[in-house]
Order: sequence, then structure tokens, then C-alpha cells
Amino acid sequence: MDLIIGGAYQGKLEYAAKTYNLKQTDVYVCAEDTDIDFDKKCIYGIEEFVMYCLKRGISAREVLEENKPKWENSVFICREIFSGVVPVDVLLRTWRDETGRVLTWLSKEARTVTRLFCGIPQKLK
Amino acid sequence: MKVYISGGCKNGKSMLAQSLAKKLAGEAPLYYIATMIPHDNEDNARIAKHIEDRDGWGFETLEQGRELLKCLDNADANGTFLLDSVTALVQNEMFREDKIDLTAGRRVSEDMAEFAGKVKNVIMVSDYIFGDAERYDALTEGYRHALAMADRIAKECDLVVEVLAGNYIVHKGELYL
Repeated sequence: MDLIIGGAYQGKLEYAAKTYNLKQTDVYVCAEDTDIDFDKKCIYGIEEFVMYCLKRGISAREVLEENKPKWENSVFICREIFSGVVPVDVLLRTWRDETGRVLTWLSKEARTVTRLFCGIPQKLK
Repeated sequence: MKVYISGGCKNGKSMLAQSLAKKLAGEAPLYYIATMIPHDNEDNARIAKHIEDRDGWGFETLEQGRELLKCLDNADANGTFLLDSVTALVQNEMFREDKIDLTAGRRVSEDMAEFAGKVKNVIMVSDYIFGDAERYDALTEGYRHALAMADRIAKECDLVVEVLAGNYIVHKGELYL
């Protein structure tokens, strides 16, 4: 799995599409109310998948671990949401924490980690 | 030389920008493009602090809260320009007295590209506001998006630096101080 991270609007998907030659149909866009589709080549918005799991009281990491054979050659894209002020809202606060933990684990699992900053990629791993 | 600097608030972006500007300018004119349009005493205090920080550096101040290219009417294009900040420029272009202009980000980016093509040296300072866990309203989200679009000019710059607690992460080019 190749992991692409970065803040909001930093060009993560644009970079993934170009680098991995992705078509729109190759990308699963995570949303807090729909099931993840691990058969897609690119999973966009891991942070939204974390929110999806939180809302259902399940562990994002466990779901990811169970499905690992399906995504070993995928591209994962996650937004950095751990800077800034700690949110007052408990759900947003838990989301922020949980996304940080999941992403730290995914970074270890990943073959490569790339961070986008102002549209510029930086190889972290 | 075109330089883009971004990073968190009060992390040392302006100090780096000023040092680089001074170094790049040599004997040629050194300009500070002041972008903030003050609305209250907090703004005035912030501006006063910036003026104090710049004191003795030899900057000529150009007040330009909107329409960046206009400041070239009163300046020597062979000089070195410090634009601080892109954030304020986007804000001023987006939140007009009579309307909200959602195309402000792209327009500021285009203005900066044209500006950068005309002057010898320019250092642009922006703010990194893209790493938090809030669910913003559409307008705030629109503003974040606009600033991110303006930030894309970074790709065309010779040097791109992220400032983090006074440390420098170089994303493009090489930083010599």
C-alpha cells in the first residue's frame, strides 16, 4: 500500500491520479454513511472512514486489519486533521485522536508515504 | 528569485521572510507589501508589532490590501518584494463590502504569478490552516479552499519553505541563510 497524506486541499488526489494513473472509477471516496469498498485501487479519505467507524462503534483499525489482503497493493489517501485546536465536540475530538493512531499504524504498513504541501510532494518513507 | 513560505501562526515565517528579502535585495530597493486592512484595535496592535519588527531593516512599505499588481505603479520592479501575507490578500479579495467572491483564490494565484513574472525577487508568506479536525460551515470551507488554491503558486517558485516552530522544512529548492 502506498500512503498519501496532507492537509485539506493540498493536492493529494491530484497527485495520486497522476502518479498511479487513476481513473475516477478507481477511486472510492469514503463518507461517514457508506460502506468502504476495498476492491477499488484507491481509497480516498481514510479520515472519513474513521468517522464512519466511530459512528457505528467499531474499530477502524480492526476492519482494516481484517481486509489487509485486499488493500496491500492499494493507494490510501488520508487528510491530516491533528493540528489545530483540540475540538470541544467529543466526537470530533475522538475522531482526531483515532485518525492519528490509525494513520501512524498505516504509515508503518505502507511501502511508501508521501506528504503533499501546497501541491508539492515530499517522500517521507 | 521567487520564494514561498507557509506554516503555522507565530512560528517565525515573517522573520525568515525578512531575512531572505534583505539578503536578496542587495543594494536594490526593498519593499514590504502590507496587505492587512485593519478593522479593530486588535488588528492595529498586530500591525504595530509587525512595523516594530521591521524597524531598521530598510523596507519601503507599499499598502496593497487588494489588486496586488497595482503596487507596481509606485515601485521599481528590479527590487525585492516581501508579500506578507497571501492569507490577508485572499481574505480581502474574497470578503468584499458588497459581495463574497469565491473565485478569489484563483485570482490571487494568477495575480501572484503575473507579479512574480514582472519583479526580480518576491517572497510570499502564507498560512497553513489545513490540518485541523473541525467541520466548518460552507463559507469558512470556501475560504480555506481559496487560500489553498492561491498556495498552488508555490509549485512555480524557486524555493518553498514550511516554517514549523522556527524550524525550516524545505519542500523545493535550497535554503541558504
